[in-house]
Amino acid sequence: MPNSDKNKEFLAEGNAYLPHIAVIEKIIEETPDTRTFHFNFKDEKLRQEFSFSSGQFGEYSIFGAGEATFCISSSPTRRDHFEFAVKRVGRVTEALHRLPVGAEIGFRGPFGNSFPLEEMKDKNLVFVAGGIGLAPLRSLIWNAIDNRKNYKNIGIIYGARSPQDLCFNYDLEAWQKDKSLNTIITIDREDPGWKEKVGFVPQVLEKAAPSAKDSVAIVCGPPIMIRFTFPVLDKLGFTPQQMITTLEKRMKCGIGKCGRCNIGDVYVCKDGPVFSYEQIKGFISSEY
Amino acid sequence: MKNENSQKKLIEEAKKLLKECRLQRIIGFEKGSLRFTTTPLITYDAADAERLVINPFIVNNLSNFLIGLEGKTAIVAKGCDSRSIVSLIQDNKVKREDVVILGIPCAGIIDLDKIEKLTGRDRDKIDDISLNGEKVLVSFNGEQGEFAAADVLFDNCLSCDMPTPAEYDVLIGEPVAPKPPVPPQELNELKEKLPADRWRFWQEQFSHCIRCYACRSICPACFCNRCFADENKPQWLSPTPHWQDNLLFQVTRSIHLAGRCTDCGECERACPVNIPLRSLTREMYDIVNDVFDYRAGMEKESAPLMAAYETEEAEDLIL
Amino acid sequence: MSIIKKIDKKDLGKLLEEWKQNFKLLTPSLQSGIADFTEWDGKDTSFTDWYRNTVIPPKRILLPLVENMFSYSKGNEGYRLETPPLDENKQLVFGIRPCDAKAFSLLDMTFKKDYQDTYYLNHRQNTLLVGLSCNDPYASCFCTSLDSSPSDASGVDIMLTDIKYGWLVESVTAAGEELIQNTENLEEASEEDRTEAESNKQSALQKISRHIDTKDISEKLHKSFDDEAFWQQISAKCISCGICTLLCPTCYCFDINDEVTVEGGSRYRSPDSCAFSVYTKMPVENPRSDKWKRVRNRVCHKYQVYPMLFDEIACTGCGRCIRLCPVNWDITQTLESLPSSEVKDAK
Repeated sequence: MPNSDKNKEFLAEGNAYLPHIAVIEKIIEETPDTRTFHFNFKDEKLRQEFSFSSGQFGEYSIFGAGEATFCISSSPTRRDHFEFAVKRVGRVTEALHRLPVGAEIGFRGPFGNSFPLEEMKDKNLVFVAGGIGLAPLRSLIWNAIDNRKNYKNIGIIYGARSPQDLCFNYDLEAWQKDKSLNTIITIDREDPGWKEKVGFVPQVLEKAAPSAKDSVAIVCGPPIMIRFTFPVLDKLGFTPQQMITTLEKRMKCGIGKCGRCNIGDVYVCKDGPVFSYEQIKGFISSEY
Repeated sequence: MKNENSQKKLIEEAKKLLKECRLQRIIGFEKGSLRFTTTPLITYDAADAERLVINPFIVNNLSNFLIGLEGKTAIVAKGCDSRSIVSLIQDNKVKREDVVILGIPCAGIIDLDKIEKLTGRDRDKIDDISLNGEKVLVSFNGEQGEFAAADVLFDNCLSCDMPTPAEYDVLIGEPVAPKPPVPPQELNELKEKLPADRWRFWQEQFSHCIRCYACRSICPACFCNRCFADENKPQWLSPTPHWQDNLLFQVTRSIHLAGRCTDCGECERACPVNIPLRSLTREMYDIVNDVFDYRAGMEKESAPLMAAYETEEAEDLIL
Repeated sequence: MSIIKKIDKKDLGKLLEEWKQNFKLLTPSLQSGIADFTEWDGKDTSFTDWYRNTVIPPKRILLPLVENMFSYSKGNEGYRLETPPLDENKQLVFGIRPCDAKAFSLLDMTFKKDYQDTYYLNHRQNTLLVGLSCNDPYASCFCTSLDSSPSDASGVDIMLTDIKYGWLVESVTAAGEELIQNTENLEEASEEDRTEAESNKQSALQKISRHIDTKDISEKLHKSFDDEAFWQQISAKCISCGICTLLCPTCYCFDINDEVTVEGGSRYRSPDSCAFSVYTKMPVENPRSDKWKRVRNRVCHKYQVYPMLFDEIACTGCGRCIRLCPVNWDITQTLESLPSSEVKDAK
């Protein structure tokens, strides 16, 4: 499961704690408190060679403020730059949000495991996301679109509290235009001017009732959304093996040493962050 | 022995309270897992009350456990502990009607570190220690040593001015008279030093600090939900244990406790690397007493020092 | 085949002096006001009078209180990162107890797995361990319950054992053997010396007075994991300080923080504790904001998770947590009072 052997290719000077220097190339203000950063490595060789898999994350440094964990939200199939999305919630994220284009940050990674693309082949994919939870999923969605013939039906259900909280609007637009995808966008409550679906993501999912046969559901969003989504998928006939999510824990080292992201014997940074609900149910600890 | 009778009375009282009053719990001491050690006993089961003890090793300030509790609690409190309870009542962290204070007049708690130094033996090599009035008898390996109580009690017990709780619901044991004040020796010695020497002293001491925060965790007056040391927006000090940040933590903590510290001495006792923390906290305690004529935990009705304002305050503080 | 020599107490100073020529020599001392391993001052051997074990565990040699991971500075060309130089000198830890040495082996398992922790390994590779068998265990020691003993040499390079006028010196690893061969200040050991040492090892074994049953402890913990009432009651007197973890020879959780200076800044690693309430705190939620969950996590990590990952309990029975806990919370009592019946099926 862990990709650590492959991940080790990109360690700076063989030191898993030493960041590479990267430059911010573009900043997109997704919502008032969420930004997407496009970055690239300063080192030319790394820029050419760096690779990762959808679902993996990096540890991003704002030197002086600290380091924080974000998934790599761009697709490995589109490598002219790399992306991550940040919600402003604390010291490091605030410092990130103050950075201009051209600023230098540190990057350690890619860490963690990734979405099981092999097992998803020839299956229907049902993406269920809320808020900034779309970030890890969008990497996989574009990955799937770029390898479209590998998958059968692709459905996307994405929701946020309000229209202002919807992230990745440019993606949503592109996906809605793409006839090979079935895209549903929803907001939690009625909002003037909003013409599309209204309802919490789990409820919209239940109404959409995607078939569980030969399908895989990939879920990411606020913890409460995930907790309500699994029972709906269960109702629709998805087995725990067919439900995949990414878990979030406080992380520091990102490589399974500092201890804090553990759920029993599982380290979310090293054995995850991608888990099936089947695996989650098998955790020896209920602290997920 | 005095203690035995008190202990019996305490157990009876505890059982009675657990049966008759709707107590959520009783907090007291029971025999610890090491010799000459006691450990807090927190229970709602009357059967467990049989294990309650009173002896010269009941060192913890149990009022620490009152914070955040719901319902009614009976709590064993020595004189110093009862002051902490009153201080918590002053701060509105504990309601008087939620506690049944089982006051224990205390002749002083024995400091095992001192016994070890005086006998040259570790505590697990000592067979018996008993406090008998002004004398402490220590027996080991067939020998017996006799020490003046003043030589083996904790430093802050030496000048205890409230050995008998002033605030209590039940008093268990004969009241003990306050001792004549003993000047804090270590602190006074420090004050004799030149500032540069004092600075070097604290630099040396705080280079040993491991930021276990035991001083903070064991202190009943440290009850902030989020300690300033855990804040990172803004970050007041580094979480990394550089001596400068360690010193800054402790000095700031002492200042934050001004008017609430009762000099119970738990911080110094808990410190695993023997930093003389009371030399900081006691200084703050004395400053508060000198400048404001105030000591925490003396009167449950009075407002906490830092939360009260008189229009005629000492203005010579403001330059 | 191990080499066996001996050293008389009166010659200890000479031996240490010789070793000091080629190593940074660390011995037990009270230099910092608390029993710790510090660099030998060149003359004091009186630690042999009082030394049973240190308060500060020797893991601090591998995981220092303040570890500079790298410094950064910003110039015209952007950020430049600089890692600190590797340890120059080899170091020798003289007098490490079997429990603390075994702890090094347990720490190795985490810091070598998957990603190599270059900082830890740098210190570890350069450290030679000269162990000292216990002849006077504390009442709080329980190493024998954890597959070890007062004379367990599995973690050291050389093992010393008390004999009448000094110590028997036995090589354990190739590195230990090499050191002994290159050391002048050692004498030949007689058959009597060896017999005496062996007998002392046996009698030390008898002195261990604290025992726990670790058979099936992992399963017992698994069964009681969701017994909230048990964990609430057992954790009631814990005050959530960090003493047990920070002074435990096998605990290794750490924190990483940046600090800013005029020229740039540094990133430091320092020890952290799962006992602290903020340890797992995120903006959205804190999975272990409840004290009983933190206490449970600590016990389970040592006695259930580590065995699952590495087939070893992450505890060597040194007893520091019991001796130094300000409320005398005792892990052996917790382990002995685990509910015997299964509460409910975990999932």
